[in-house]
Amino acid sequence: MAFGQGRSGGGGGGRGRGGDKKPGDKEKGQRRTLFRRRKVCKFCADKIDDINYKDMKLLMPFVPERAKILPRRISGTCALHQRKLRTAIMRARQLALIPYTAE
Amino acid sequence: MSDRQYELVYILPPDTTEQQVAELHSQVEAVVSRMHGQIATTENWGRKRLAYEIGHNKEGVYVLQVINGSGELMKELDRRLKVMDMVIRHMIVRVDEEKKVVERTQTKRRTESERRRVKRGLPPQRQPGEGRPAGEPDEGDDDRFDGVEV
Repeated sequence: MAFGQGRSGGGGGGRGRGGDKKPGDKEKGQRRTLFRRRKVCKFCADKIDDINYKDMKLLMPFVPERAKILPRRISGTCALHQRKLRTAIMRARQLALIPYTAE
Repeated sequence: MSDRQYELVYILPPDTTEQQVAELHSQVEAVVSRMHGQIATTENWGRKRLAYEIGHNKEGVYVLQVINGSGELMKELDRRLKVMDMVIRHMIVRVDEEKKVVERTQTKRRTESERRRVKRGLPPQRQPGEGRPAGEPDEGDDDRFDGVEV
């Protein structure tokens, strides 16, 4: 097991991790203080079953300024809820509640 | 036939008067009642900013109606709304099945938690003041150590 990355269930890829293990680390034997918060699906954690297209407060955090849907690897949403989120956002877009694009 | 539930949202231009809104509502109602459906609720969201322009309109008056009825009814309603000049945008969504699923998962979650609590010798409902106090982030084991341990 290389960097404990195999356990990153549901988490994102290994982006932004900086450099890899340097040869000097071994001798020093010190723990690297690189912690990353585990990403948790917001809808699973808060037990939100109904992702509704009318609920702007719920949807807006998943639509950043470019008006694209926030990908799973960043938001940490589980597959099931990302699917539901997608339909909700697409419906809200049809009703001009959420933009398709940003100017 | 078993009733299905639909949600109909339509957007009117910002300069529509209350009277026109009421008129359109009565038109919709006429179609619904003729095809043996009923309007469960009507909600007027009022004037809202549109996220993008629809036919040179920057704002719109939103109206939401929950309608119980058949698929043919909604088809007819959809056709009519498409023809109407006053409606700048409309959308029909079927909601009864999703509602059922949501209800089912909620009851399942509740009964499951009750079952587990009883098994642990606790009263089935959560008591006040029990569990982790809200607003306090949990530390420690939730954070995954992401470095290298030698």
